[in-house]
Order: sequence, then structure tokens, then C-alpha cells
Amino acid sequence: MRDGIKRAPGFWPRAALFYLYLLFLYGPIIIIVILSFQADNASLSFPMQGFSLFYFGEVFDPHYIGDYRWPFGRSVILGLIVMVLTMGISFLAGLAFRKNFRGNIVVFYLVVASLVCPSILISLGIGIGFSNLGLTSQWWSGGLGAHLSWTLPFGVLIMLAVFSRLDPRLEEAAKDQGATKWQTLRNVTIPITLPGLVGVALFGFTLSYDEYPRISNVAGEDNTLPVELVNTLSLAATPTIYAIGTMTTIFSLFIIFTSFIVVYFMQKRRRGFGVKKISADG
Amino acid sequence: MSKKTDAKSGLSRRAVLKGTAAVAGLVAGSSIGGFPTIWAQDDITVRTVGMSVSNMPQLEDMANEALPFKVQQTAAAIPDIIGRGLNQPKSADLFEPPFMTMKVMWPSGNFQAWDTTKLPEWDQVVDLYKESGKIWPDAWYGDGQNPSSVGYTSGPDSKDFVKPGSTKWITNHPVLHNADTLGIRPDVIGRPIDSWKELINPEFSGRAGLVAFPQIGLMDAAMAFQANGEIEYANKGNMTREEIDFSIDRLIQLKNDGHWRSLWSTFNDSVQLMVSGEVVIQSMWSPAVTAVREQGVSCIYQDLKEGYRSWSLGHCLPKHLEGKKLGAVYDYVTWYHTGTAGAFFARQGYYVVTWQNTKKYLPKAEWDFWYEGKPATVDIYSPFGKLMEKAGAVRDGGSYKNRMGRIAVWNSVMDENEYLTDRWNEFMAS
Amino acid sequence: MAGLTAIFNRYSTLFQISPLVITLTLFLIGPVIAIIILSLWKFDGFMTLEGVWTFRNYEKIFSRSLTALNYWQTLKMLLITLGVTFIIGFTLAYFLVFDIVKLRTKMLLFLLCVVPFWTSAVIRTVAWIPFLGTEGIINQAIMGIGLSDEPLKFLLFSEFAVLLSYIQIFTLFMMAPLFNVMARINKDLIEAARDNGANSIQILWNIILPLCKPGIAIGSIFVIALVASDFTAIRILGGSRVGTVAASMANQVYNFQYPPAAATSMILLIVVLLLVGGIMRVVDVRRQL
Repeated sequence: MRDGIKRAPGFWPRAALFYLYLLFLYGPIIIIVILSFQADNASLSFPMQGFSLFYFGEVFDPHYIGDYRWPFGRSVILGLIVMVLTMGISFLAGLAFRKNFRGNIVVFYLVVASLVCPSILISLGIGIGFSNLGLTSQWWSGGLGAHLSWTLPFGVLIMLAVFSRLDPRLEEAAKDQGATKWQTLRNVTIPITLPGLVGVALFGFTLSYDEYPRISNVAGEDNTLPVELVNTLSLAATPTIYAIGTMTTIFSLFIIFTSFIVVYFMQKRRRGFGVKKISADG
Repeated sequence: MSKKTDAKSGLSRRAVLKGTAAVAGLVAGSSIGGFPTIWAQDDITVRTVGMSVSNMPQLEDMANEALPFKVQQTAAAIPDIIGRGLNQPKSADLFEPPFMTMKVMWPSGNFQAWDTTKLPEWDQVVDLYKESGKIWPDAWYGDGQNPSSVGYTSGPDSKDFVKPGSTKWITNHPVLHNADTLGIRPDVIGRPIDSWKELINPEFSGRAGLVAFPQIGLMDAAMAFQANGEIEYANKGNMTREEIDFSIDRLIQLKNDGHWRSLWSTFNDSVQLMVSGEVVIQSMWSPAVTAVREQGVSCIYQDLKEGYRSWSLGHCLPKHLEGKKLGAVYDYVTWYHTGTAGAFFARQGYYVVTWQNTKKYLPKAEWDFWYEGKPATVDIYSPFGKLMEKAGAVRDGGSYKNRMGRIAVWNSVMDENEYLTDRWNEFMAS
Repeated sequence: MAGLTAIFNRYSTLFQISPLVITLTLFLIGPVIAIIILSLWKFDGFMTLEGVWTFRNYEKIFSRSLTALNYWQTLKMLLITLGVTFIIGFTLAYFLVFDIVKLRTKMLLFLLCVVPFWTSAVIRTVAWIPFLGTEGIINQAIMGIGLSDEPLKFLLFSEFAVLLSYIQIFTLFMMAPLFNVMARINKDLIEAARDNGANSIQILWNIILPLCKPGIAIGSIFVIALVASDFTAIRILGGSRVGTVAASMANQVYNFQYPPAAATSMILLIVVLLLVGGIMRVVDVRRQL
């Protein structure tokens, strides 16, 4: 009994399902971690061959095909660019949608169409567009566009949901107090929609970092990480890819952990501002 | 030459230096490919795109050491090489597609012809790519798209194919070739295998594998069906609709009987399936056989009486190249065929098309093993320092002549390619 | 300066919505138009004959049985994935919203679900092979316990493996919208229902589920988009046994048969749009967002 609240019926089965799901989710990751510690000459599967840090070394100094260092960097940079652009464009679009402008239904359907459009189609199409213009698509041009067509629907849908919950009275109150449009935006709208924006940022980065089909044709001369991974997979992949998986997992857990601690301490210090209350409303 | 190779660079220092000295001599002569080679102030990078077979860090290092300009290799899957060559030709300076795609690559108009008079090593290239279409007079010509048939063109900017040997313009510069066959687990099968028909032998039901690329998989299957006496193809490398229908229907029948454990489309699958024993006979590529052996599992690239299925790679020259850059690319390709690269590839089981130059850089013991098919007198190591064969072993399939002289069919893109793909998709979906 | 601000104020909506519209025009409408054009050009078996218009690519799609086979497979995968991700996703969301009280715990658990996504999906898909193979963990376990003498072969290189991978990766896309929508349900409603004597099942059926409709709709749209598009998991785990439309299309692209591939993808797009449109007709997603 926590805080004297009674557990609803079916709690334990649901909890069990949740933790089973986590196990299911992390199962492959555990495998990845285990198999990344093999010695040279290993395969992608069991039985495990030896125990060493060999493949972690391979990530930084590759001898076999598949140099993942640059692709990894590119994926991170692209992910960040996509993240920022998605946040900005989605936020602005959210503001616009609030006003129910003429043609907003059309734009809405456009957004949904962008989401459901088969990725191969978009990839091929962008590639054709570029080659007809006599240009070569690169990861930061055609690739960026392809990823945006994927992340923007998520961002816009999230912002739409967030904005529809935004009580306009809060902004009116600010205006009554004499705030200009910019001040209202900065001090009321953005802080309240911040959790949504963080969600958009999270989705934006993750979707881009991991995306393969849409960028497959338009990455240009230099591959992003997923493109490089799929390329080497069809050729002769080694457990180096597992080493990468292990490293990214540790890295992301580290990021989450640190941000949690940071936010925790930040909240403790801002307790008096009432900001916590609003954002705690989920 | 000492057996101890630096595992990292694969090739012993001496061999690399030898190669460098040879090229340096040529560079000093300043007339590689007939182009002046004054590179000092130019920052030239030759970007190549090709299969992982021939685009890898070690080769890149060798090229960069030997040549005065930078070489940057990118490995990509076959569809990507073709896709980029067709849609984004400016994205690289040299494309290395498989020969079977020449009918698609060359007529696209994205490439320019090579001038054989400007290639010092052209004479050393085997006759397979020239008039006769055969390496030796008594070699088999082979069904399907013999490389010589798509080798020559009428002029530097043409899009056609002409009679082999009739002009000095070639559509692409051949790189290397090899002969493919079935891979088997001799320890599990326990008896000699000598015919393609064993691929569809019910004895191996549920334990057979086929490669998922339509053109290649279908040809492997065709070899099996013909060897089994079920059908006589007019041209296995260019089937009629009826022949395609027969083959696909048989494949579907086998699939429904549970004959195929898997159709593999990634290299690792083919290795995994063999290592785990899920499959005991399957289409395979030779590096996969090596990979299986490296894990301590016995696997043979089986010599079969009906012959081999062969493939080749070619260097295509994009149209946008000109001036110094063009000269650099010519120099790169010329270096490629002076022998050091040849030795590097020979040690992995591939044959670069200029074997006489390769012979200069391959120590006799290794030459005898890889090319003459003689029992090894020393332990044989790969360029990565791994033990491939112990002394006394014979290369699977034996000599260069036995393997490349008995080509039953060449990897090809058939006239009925579209129909083939549709029916192959049906095979996959059924 | 004042003039600029005035202009900005008057056209503020335009400024705000144009980045979105411009991006989507360039990278959605543009490609689609290019593909439509490509699909209407002739393909002679090796090359695209640019400028030679024909409906042949579409005729072929509608005249062969492969199309029906592909769509049947795709539909099957879609329905199973939707069903399973819904059941799991709904339960997970319910658990996080109603069973977990502390916000911090909610966030932490939610984030735990998201963290795996920063490890490339490709690697995670490949990692199923050691799990499901005949020498893999599951088979070792099953044979070890004695449940079976032979390793189960259907686990890998089959529809099953592909579905497993879909469920693993796509459940989050079903769970997140449901979580969002469920969290907004006014707790007073539930209290009131309880006070009136409703039990948990009735509350679930009459209050929670109906209010979740927009979440279900959005989640389904996500899953449909993802499943209809995927061909990588099929290639890696399906052993080329699974023939969905996307897989066939990928094969066509791989064999440089661009016009036929373009036609196939246009039809797929239309079918998916119809499905999604249908969902949006039933649930007014726009209104309820």
C-alpha cells in the first residue's frame, strides 16, 4: 500500500505485462551487449567466441569493412539539425493552427499524408528531383528534407495536442497585465508548452537518428549510420555493430540518467515559482 | 618473404614497397595512360564506389601509398552501386558495378568509354573480355551474358555495344572475376557431391538455401533443374517466359514442400545458416565459405561437373571526368592492374584480370596454391593474417583453369528481367 | 520597424504556417509528383524510357495475381500488428496513467521505454537472430527444458520473426498517443462513475475506451504507416519469405525497375491513404487533438 491508495484490480497483471514488455524490449539489447564482447573472428550469433574488447576497438580503428565513425557523427549532427528544425517548424505551425486559418484542413491532411507516405516513394522521388536538377542529393540536403518529411508530422501532431490543451485565458491574463506578444510568447506560452516541445525534440532526434528507408536513396556520397549499417549487413557484418549498439545504449542511459538528476535538482530549487505545478499537470 | 605478416596491413612491408617502387618508376616516367602526371599542387581525390569485395581499408591504404593522389573507397550493396551510377553519377569518380548490370549502366549515357590505347596494362587483360570471350581457347564460352559481349562500344560517347575487339573503346575496365558454386557442409552430408542437382535433392529437404537475388538465385536453380534432367534451357542466362515459368513454378513447388530453409539476402545469413547447420547445401559466395571455415566449421566450395556460375566486376568512368581528374583515374586503374592489388585479391580467392602481373607479386608457393590448384607447400594466410589453409590442402575447385575455364553460365540481366522479377516476387510471397 | 511589425502581425499566420507548407511541398508533394510521372513512363526491361508515356505499369499491377498476394500479406501483417500493439500498448498506457501515481515514476518508466530507440533499429532487428535461430537462446531453452526435441524452425526467417520485430519496435507508437489521451481524462469522471456503483470493467468500457478513441486512431495511423513502409525487417528476419507490397517494391527498386516500382508505390500510397482516411472519418482526429 503506497500512500494509502488502494491498488486497482488487475494491477499486478498489468504491472507484470509492463515489466515483461520491458524485458522484451531490452532482450535484444542484452544480447547485443553480450555478443559485443567477443574476440576476433566472431559471428553475429551464438555460440560466443571468446571474450575481449576487440570489437570496441574496431569501432574506432576498423580493419574490416564498415567504418562507422563518420556515419555515426553524421547521424548525430543530422539528428540535431532535424530536431531543432522540427521543433521550430512544429511550434510555429501549432501557433498557426490555433487560429483555424483558411485551408487548415488541407494542411492537416498534408501532414498526415507525409506521415503515411511510403518511405521508398519519398526517397526515390527526392532522388529523382535532385538528379533532374543536375544535383547530387546529400545527407544534409535531400537527406535532411526526407527526414523532415518524417519527423514533422509527429511534431505537428504533438504540438496540436499540446496547444489544444493550452488554456487561452492564461495568455489573455498576461496581455491584460500589459505584456506584448513577444513577452507573452516567451514567458507564458513557451514555458507551458515546453513539455510538448521536449517531446517533439525527443521524437525529432530519435526518428532521424534511426531512420533508414527515407534516406536510403538520398544520403549522397557519405552515409548516415543506419545506411552504413544496412550496407555492411548485406555484405559482411561483424560484431562491430553490436559494439556500437552497446555504446549507444550506455550513452543514452547516461544521458537520461543525468537529465533526470539535473531536472530533479532544478525542480527542487524552483519549488516556489509555481512553474512546477503547471508542468506537473502532464 | 616471411610468413609473418602484419595482421593490420595484411601485406608485408616489402611487398608494398616493391609495388610502390614499380609505380614510382612509372610515375617518374610521367606517362601513365598517356597523361602528364604533375600532381604536386593539385588536391585530387579519386572516389570509388563498389562492392565490399574490392573496396576496403587495406586496398585503400595500398592505393594511397602507391599513388601520388588520394583514393577514397566506399563499399555499397549492388543495388546502391547501380542506383547511384544511374541517378547520381556525379557522386563518385569511378563506379564498380557487377558486369551483369552493364546492359543497364552503359546505355544510361552517364559514362564515357575507356581508350584502350591509353591503358598500358590493357594487353595483360585476359581474352575473356576481348574478341574470343574465353580465357583459353578450350575454355567454355558459357550461357548468358559473356563479358566480352558488353565490353566494346563504337565511340567515346556512344551508348551501344559492338563486336568484341572491333574498336579501341571499351565500356568499362574489367577488374576481377570469380567462379561461384554451391557451398556444402561435407561433415553433415557425409558423401561426395558432384552435381548441381543435389541442390534440389529431397534428401536435403528443409536444409537447402538459395540466394534471394532474382537473377542469381534463378540461375542457381536452373543449373539444378537442368542437371536433374527436368528441362533443357536454350540459354540459362537469358530465359524465355516459358522457361522462367517452369523454373519459378518448380521453385514454388519446392517451397511448399518445405525444401528451402531460407532465401538469404544478407551475407551473414548465408554464413549463419551454414555454421548452425540449419542449411547443408546452398548458393554461396566464396568469402562466405571462408567466413564459415574461420569459425571452425568445415565447409567446401564444391566443384561440380556441370560447371560454375561466374561473375565479373568492371570499372565504369563517369562522363563528368575530364582533365587532370580523368588522368588520375586512369592512373589508379592502371596501378590496380600492375600486380600488387592482384596479389592482395588472389589471397582472398579472387582473380584480378591481369594474372601475369599478379604472378609477379605472388610468392611461388601461394601462386601454386591459388592459381595452379596444387597442394599447398606452406600454410596459406589471408591478407588479414588469418590462417586459411594448412599445408597440404588444395584449393576448392583447384586451378584457375578448372574454375574459370568451365563456366556454365554468367550472371546476367535477362531480356525478360521485368517478368522474372514479378514471378520471383510471387515465389517469395507464396 | 513599426511597419515591419505591422506587416508581421497581419500576416503572422502566414509566416507561421509557411515553413511547414514549404517543407512539405518540397519534400512530399515534389517527390510524389516525380514518382507519378515516373510511373507513367515506359520500362523496356533494362531502362526507363523517359518521356514515353504509358499506362502499362499500372495495367500490369492490376492484371497479375502477385498484387493480390502482396496486399493480402500486407493486410495480414497490419491487422496482427495493430491488434497486438493495441492490446499491449493500451495496457502499458493504462498502467502508467492509472496505476502509477508519482509523476516522476511515470516519466522514468516512460523514458525507459524510449531509451532502446537510441540504439539503431537495424542493430536491434539483427539481434533477434541469435535469439530465434536454431542455435539461439529460445531454442536452447526449449530443448533444454525438454519441451521439444527439435529446434523450432518457424521462429526465424518467417512471418513470426518479422511480426515480433514489429511489435517490439512499434508498440511505443501505439502506446504514446494512448498515454497522452488517457492522462487527460478527467479523474472526476471516473470518481463519479465509481460513486454510482460502476465496476472497473464498466468504467473501462464506457468511459476510458471511448475517450481514448483519438489516441487509438492516431496510434493506428502511426502503425499503419510504419508497417506498410517496412522492408528492412522483412529482409533481415523474413528470410525473404514474406512478400508484402513494400518488400516487392523494394525488390523492384533493387532491380532498377524504377517505373514499375513507382507505379507499385503510388497504388500503395492510395491504399494507405484510403485506410487512414477511413479511420479519420470514424474518429474526428482533428477536432479531438
